[in-house]
Amino acid sequence: MKLKWWLLIVIAGAQVCAAAEETNSPNAEIEALKKEVQALERKIERLEQQQAAQQNVATQPVESARVEELDQKVKILERQRESDQEQAEAAAKTAPKFSADANGFKISSADTNFVIQLKGLVQLDSRTFFEDGGIKDNDGFILRRARPILQGTVYRDFDFAFVPDFGGSTVQILDAYINYRFRPELQLEIGKFKSPVGLEALESDTVTAFNERSMVTDLVPNRDLGVELHGDLFSGSLNYALGIFDGAPDFSGSVPNLDYDDNKALAARVFLQPFRTTDISTLQGLGFGVGGSWEVDRSSSSASGTGLTPGYTTDGQQKFFTYNSGVYADGEHWRISPQAYYYWKSFGILGEYVYSDLGVTKGNASANLNNTAWEVTGSWILTGENASYTGFTPARPFDPHKNQWGAWQLVARYSTVDIDKKAFPIFSNPGTSASAAHEWAVGVNWFLNKNLRVNASFSHTQFVDGNSGAVTKQPENVLFTRVQLAF
Amino acid sequence: MKTFLSILTVLALAISTNAGEVKLLNVSYDPTRELYQEYNAAFAKYWKAKTGDDVKIEMSHGGSGKQAQAVINGLEADVVTLALAYDIDAISQQAKLLPADWQTKLLDNSTPYTSTIVFLVRKGNPKNIHDWNDLIKSDVTVVVPNPKTSGGARWAYLAAYADALEKNNRDASKAREFVTKLYKNVPVLDSGARGSTITFAQRGIGDVLLTWENEAHLAQKEFGADKFEIVTPPLSILAEPPVAVIDKNAQRHKANGLAKAYLDYLYSEEGQQIAARNFYRPRNQQIARKYAANFPELKLVTVEGEFGGWQKAQKIHFADGGVFDQIFQRK
Repeated sequence: MKLKWWLLIVIAGAQVCAAAEETNSPNAEIEALKKEVQALERKIERLEQQQAAQQNVATQPVESARVEELDQKVKILERQRESDQEQAEAAAKTAPKFSADANGFKISSADTNFVIQLKGLVQLDSRTFFEDGGIKDNDGFILRRARPILQGTVYRDFDFAFVPDFGGSTVQILDAYINYRFRPELQLEIGKFKSPVGLEALESDTVTAFNERSMVTDLVPNRDLGVELHGDLFSGSLNYALGIFDGAPDFSGSVPNLDYDDNKALAARVFLQPFRTTDISTLQGLGFGVGGSWEVDRSSSSASGTGLTPGYTTDGQQKFFTYNSGVYADGEHWRISPQAYYYWKSFGILGEYVYSDLGVTKGNASANLNNTAWEVTGSWILTGENASYTGFTPARPFDPHKNQWGAWQLVARYSTVDIDKKAFPIFSNPGTSASAAHEWAVGVNWFLNKNLRVNASFSHTQFVDGNSGAVTKQPENVLFTRVQLAF
Repeated sequence: MKTFLSILTVLALAISTNAGEVKLLNVSYDPTRELYQEYNAAFAKYWKAKTGDDVKIEMSHGGSGKQAQAVINGLEADVVTLALAYDIDAISQQAKLLPADWQTKLLDNSTPYTSTIVFLVRKGNPKNIHDWNDLIKSDVTVVVPNPKTSGGARWAYLAAYADALEKNNRDASKAREFVTKLYKNVPVLDSGARGSTITFAQRGIGDVLLTWENEAHLAQKEFGADKFEIVTPPLSILAEPPVAVIDKNAQRHKANGLAKAYLDYLYSEEGQQIAARNFYRPRNQQIARKYAANFPELKLVTVEGEFGGWQKAQKIHFADGGVFDQIFQRK
């Protein structure tokens, strides 16, 4: 461009010189030259425009094709990315899921039809007896429960659980069952599990108010082997269970895995929470029901044992009542247990009564023993969490750095058991076995978080009769502590 | 003991008889959405008039192979209306939910309508695509779904292969070479026919979409006849999308009669009309003639005739490590 202007100037200069020689009027000459310069400028502009237009015509199709090609490539890459994302999402939907949290370790298929869960429970207790009449070797630290819990689901509707217990003095299979959920209202459970009778007995070991269950539980069956039909009706407002079992004696810590005794027991329970799904918040936590069992036992003629409890135990797990040697269960044994609880805000109360009618025999003597027990347990969560039969989660888990101290709960209980006077002296020794026991207990529980809990409680048990028994000749006073890990 | 068992039985019966509304689930392939939307409404009306009962039909759509696998994995289909017989065979063989001879249970090999594979090109057919050979030109980009997951894609692959056999004196190596070149021109493999339609029509990718005849018509309707043209090649494949009652599921849902009637009605005059309106070639010749304008004549080869049946075709071409796996490499 600069070159053109220089050319213009040079040409114009030459023409100016020539014109100057030809004319005598400088102004006219300048005007003429101006016009010529302008004409030349226009000419150059036209030429430049023509040249540019020719260049555009030559490059336009090439550029357009390249743009189109690049556009396609970008669109293809975008679509491939979309496709990859869709595939990744589809793969994620079918990939197994793993979770580890306060509820344990869980692996499940994407559709949750297959689930396996590892949970655990460890309870380390201490028991310290006071004024125990010189009984030796009853104080100490105890590994009360040590349970790896394997549970899960296969094919969506079949739940299972396998729970061994390494705590205490015996390693045993505590629970081993399969539960088929046809519908929430209709489920079938087969295996070894808790017999559906006692309210306190059915409560989870991780959430009981005290280290040990009350003496009411002495009179109901613990775990048993059998088949149970059960379910929740009306959105859980009514729970029922009806089962046929081998037949377990009154509550005992250990139940064998086989029982060839021909006798079988029926056990059933109906429990209502009529306000559970209503808006009446003060009554939502009310539940009541009745459990019971019935069997005809002929243990005296079988090799499977006496069919009787090895002994009723106190809070301190000392036997305060045992049957004499040679006594067998014989005839009908039925139990009935009206039961209820009520939870409202931080307050909870649980009560249960058990009536047990048990046929026994020794030699030519036989009797029907009518034993009874009842209990009331109250609880109050000082830190304001809502109480429930299935426990609660601390609102402020223990973390001193955040000035959080977990949840605190006060608990109190009264329970009593009365043994039929007909049991003495033929079926039980009145000198060493008490005919009744009355217990009160108070305690404080500290829930550090959902998994960790520390208990401390004191229990006092007064006995009637059994004046020469090592355990029953004086009241039992025990201080309990517990550290519990449950996940 | 007897009393106890009686109580159990009574309780079980009492609860199971209140098991709730029986629904019919039709698990289908990708491009049948519009067909069954119209058909379900018509059948519900027919069923109501016939029995007085209301019927609720639920649909599930996806790539045919994926849908079959879902049923095998537990999706409780009462009926399946899939893209090819092989997928229903798989349900029969792997899940045993219906008998092996399921295809004899309804007329026309349980295929109430047929279709074929055509080309959908952009308006004016700028790449001048008229036959299968045009698809392997270096400047042509082809859109087609993944034959591993899509029934329509398997039909398209076999149509291309059959055309190559025809043009190369039945030389399998030449046919293999042809499909290799063809799939080199495929930049994206969607999992189903509807995905490929979106790729081509909505996202503007590619020069030609290989798809079901009915899907091509629907794409024209949905995205504009002024944007796309349907090119029917001289040779294609007779696509027979079959239907079947999944007996065990239907029995469990107490819907056997309903499921059978649902599929039977596809053969009725109204069912055939609806199929034709949705660009499926009806079996009823009278109705086929009425809609002849929508269905140009072309040479149609069959899977049985060209490939010895679906089992053989699947094993050679689409099984893991088969011809398709060997020839296709994602770019």
